[in-house]
Amino acid sequence: MRIFTLPDLGEGLQEAEIVQWHVVPGETVAADRTMVSVETDKAIVEIPAPFSGRVEKLFGKPGEVVHVGAPLIGFEGHEPDSGTVVGEIAPAGTAPAVRAPPRAGAAAEVKATPAVRALARQRNVDLASVAPTGANGLVTAEDVERAAGAGTAADAPTPLRGTRRAMARNMALAHAEVASVTIMDDADVEAWETGSALMPRLARALVAGCRAEPGLNAWYDKHTNSRRTFEAVHVGIAVDTPDGLIVPVLRDCEKRDLADLACALDDLARQTRERALAPAALRGATITLSNYGSIAGRYASPIVVPPAIAILGAGRLEPRAVVTADGHIAARRLLPLSLTFDHRAATGGEAGRFLNAVIADLVRPS
Amino acid sequence: MTVVARFEIRYTRYLDHLGKVEGSLPEFARDPRALVPDYRAMVLMRALDAKAIALQRTGQIGTYASTLGKEAIDAGIGAVLARDDVVLPSYRESGILFLRGVSPHRVFLYWGGDERGNVFPESPRDFPFCVPIALQLPHAAGVAYAMKVRREPRVALAICGDGATSKGDFYEALNAAGTWKLPMVAVIVNNQYAISVPRRMQSAAQTLAQKGIAAGIECEQLDGNDVIAVHDAVGRALERARAGEGPTLLEALTYRLSDHTTADDASRYRSAEELAERWKHEPILRLRNWLAENGAWSKPQEEALHREVNETVQAAVKAYLDTPPPATDQMFRHLYAHLPHAYEWQREAAAGTFEETGQRHAELHAG
Amino acid sequence: MPNCTLVEAVNLALARAMEDDPRVTVLGEDVGVNGGVFRATAGLLERFGAERVVDTPLSEALIAGMAIGMAAEGMRPVAEVQFAGFAYVTIDQILNHAGRLRHRTQGHLACPMVLRTPCGAGIRAPEHHSESPEAMFAHIPGIRVVYPSSPRRAYGLLLASIADPDPVVFLEPSRLYRRYKEEIDDTGEPLPLDTSFVLREGSDVTLVAWGAMVQEALAAADELAAEGVSAEVIDVATLKPLDLDTILASVGKTGRCVVITEAPRTCSFASEVAAGLAEHGLLSLLAPVQRVTGWDTVTPLARLESRYIPDTRRIVAAARETMQYS
Repeated sequence: MRIFTLPDLGEGLQEAEIVQWHVVPGETVAADRTMVSVETDKAIVEIPAPFSGRVEKLFGKPGEVVHVGAPLIGFEGHEPDSGTVVGEIAPAGTAPAVRAPPRAGAAAEVKATPAVRALARQRNVDLASVAPTGANGLVTAEDVERAAGAGTAADAPTPLRGTRRAMARNMALAHAEVASVTIMDDADVEAWETGSALMPRLARALVAGCRAEPGLNAWYDKHTNSRRTFEAVHVGIAVDTPDGLIVPVLRDCEKRDLADLACALDDLARQTRERALAPAALRGATITLSNYGSIAGRYASPIVVPPAIAILGAGRLEPRAVVTADGHIAARRLLPLSLTFDHRAATGGEAGRFLNAVIADLVRPS
Repeated sequence: MTVVARFEIRYTRYLDHLGKVEGSLPEFARDPRALVPDYRAMVLMRALDAKAIALQRTGQIGTYASTLGKEAIDAGIGAVLARDDVVLPSYRESGILFLRGVSPHRVFLYWGGDERGNVFPESPRDFPFCVPIALQLPHAAGVAYAMKVRREPRVALAICGDGATSKGDFYEALNAAGTWKLPMVAVIVNNQYAISVPRRMQSAAQTLAQKGIAAGIECEQLDGNDVIAVHDAVGRALERARAGEGPTLLEALTYRLSDHTTADDASRYRSAEELAERWKHEPILRLRNWLAENGAWSKPQEEALHREVNETVQAAVKAYLDTPPPATDQMFRHLYAHLPHAYEWQREAAAGTFEETGQRHAELHAG
Repeated sequence: MPNCTLVEAVNLALARAMEDDPRVTVLGEDVGVNGGVFRATAGLLERFGAERVVDTPLSEALIAGMAIGMAAEGMRPVAEVQFAGFAYVTIDQILNHAGRLRHRTQGHLACPMVLRTPCGAGIRAPEHHSESPEAMFAHIPGIRVVYPSSPRRAYGLLLASIADPDPVVFLEPSRLYRRYKEEIDDTGEPLPLDTSFVLREGSDVTLVAWGAMVQEALAAADELAAEGVSAEVIDVATLKPLDLDTILASVGKTGRCVVITEAPRTCSFASEVAAGLAEHGLLSLLAPVQRVTGWDTVTPLARLESRYIPDTRRIVAAARETMQYS
């Protein structure tokens, strides 16, 4: 039933008395037809039908009081259902159109991190044309730079990326933190058997040094001010490559004999050239070796990069004039050595003894 | 088996639905003129309520929950509360707010969808409307606790509906109030319906007042359409609380003469006959009859009141319609004491500009 | 200077706050005579009396609701919910009222309350006592969510939370309650809210954690260092509002990030951090952000707990994963 209540009669009147009904239940009335007369304090008021419909029920008899807002007449039918008790939930028009999902674009087929993509845009490089060298076919920043070629003007600054960026960061850190001291000396290798390879000898000598003074085969943690020595000797070998400085690690040198060292060094060199080094191969060096003399130089002050505390540099092996035990001048093949150590973690005595042990091993014929 | 506890629930009524006195009137009502302010307040409440419904019908406010039929409860409570007592309403107590000095246009603002409808500068310690059912009762326990430990002669008065008495929060609050003898009064406005669920389907308890027995507190039932009974019962409860005698639970019986809200259609679940019958018990008519009968109210006074009420209502509507929409940063201004740095960009973004997001998008993808 | 476990630090902070501000009132189940089931409130009843240390009936909804009422009346309630598993019912009051009261009344009423609750797994407790609800609370507007990871930070952050004029949900990692001690200078000096703490500097990967997971993150950083990976460790501390700037600065340096939480994965707070990094730090990232989380399962009971809670091994593996990318 649709209930029609007594409407506001104006002037704040609250109720009215029913005087006379003008419709009967069952009757169909048109809108605005007078349904009932009611009397207020002021006057007799005629109430019209609010809509057309069939009257079902009348509330109240002549002489009874009806309140504003109280049920007056019931019409057949139902109120439209709002379908809620709060707010409005209007029906929509049509359902939204759903477009077919887009095909994956070419960009999705190239694997590159967002930073590399941004770089490629910057360099105007089409990623699809770049040969990826990263793990799992990932295009690296270096790949993009290479593809960009000589496009940059000679005087425009080239941002350092990849290994060069790492080098800049590491060297700055090392320079800022490490209390660097370098001891220099020569090893007289005149007695070496012909065909002695330099790098395996240096690696073995380094192990000897570590055995004599384990304190230099260690890491230093400035936060806890502690030095952690290692049993194993993992030697980081500084290698100069077209991409910059790379330091692959030859692990467990203390377990290897000379032949093994030679083999392992060859493998390492090959892997480095072929860029087939796993990232783990670049981590965990307990001490570092730099054979800079293979390019140039006699003595140097190599930089030790934390957390390691020692680096041994070897200069150019060449004959030089020395004063022998019996006071004569002779020509002897000398290998110049430069040992840098972090004086926060090791003493001059430790370093000196270490170096002596290294030299003692190097001067052996084999 | 022995009986270890009994209880009784007392019921108070002084004016029957025709305005005839039952028993002897309480002291404050011996002079009927003392109830004239209540009558005036009730007439104003009803007029404002009717106007709110009209505003909703013309699309000027959103969904509105009418107060039609509970004017005596609001008027009685509003009359006996002290200024620095705290009221914790549900969402149908605009009548009490008016009596606390809150400008009527704030109620239009609230239902019109403006946060400023929750702001009561005239009565700043009162709580705003509480929509989640019964959550205001634990608040009241907390407010009362503060009053008690500070030894203040103030009371926290919470109002809830019959449906609220089924919620855990209702009982938990009363239980705590009883345990600590808090200066708290809880008034159940039993208007017989929780939306469509009638009282008989809400609880098997014979009265809702007796739910306070479980909490060990004073409980009473009263005729909520008799403003004298409301005055009396609430007044006594407040006195008890102020005197440190602990909380009271009152059940005021009334009837919801309106739909639950303007979006509800009560004819779906209750008959027009029932509604018509209950109109006969409404609170304003019986009070007017009694006042008129005792020479405390006249036709000229009635007419003057209607003129005055009309003016108040018009002024409230004008104040509401004249209130410009809030600034966008209203969402952020009082979210915290000081908006955390993390959200400052959101305030700017909400207030502006698609340009904001567009600009950052461009920055991200710039060369 | 007292040497305190995390739970003792909470106790110290409560006592300090109650000493310095007579409005501070502690309420909760078993907090008074029993001193709290974890002894977090031990000694407070004797020192401050029953009106300020309130043993409530068994009603978490009441505890949260009462705290709101007390706070609106100008008190500084510190409500305890005994275990985070029982705190879910308080979300009704916290979300619907505590976080909104200042806003709704446009500043006339405010809600300077603290709701503290022990959470997290790893104490071999029965069901429902190993919850991580931080993401649910962090989703609520108008509040703060604070989660300390050490005794000193618990002390300083709790003081700050109590003094804060807005509601704070203070989550305490129960398995760190007695794990180790730190010296605490009981000066009443608060730590800053809305700030993350860089606990360890590093250059290769950023580990972001909160609560008990911070300990695992630090242990993982040690292990990673042995492999030559330098990890920076950040304790988020205040989850909401999140100090994304500190995390972004770190990832700007390292390019890699692992976010660690013991909460279930989906919609965990780790997701929020990852989204923030994706949105604001994309061009610094050298690898996808890794989330190391609890599984999307019910937190298991004691016998399987160790297979659920992220451990150092999983964090290290995730960090290694990020190192693979470039």
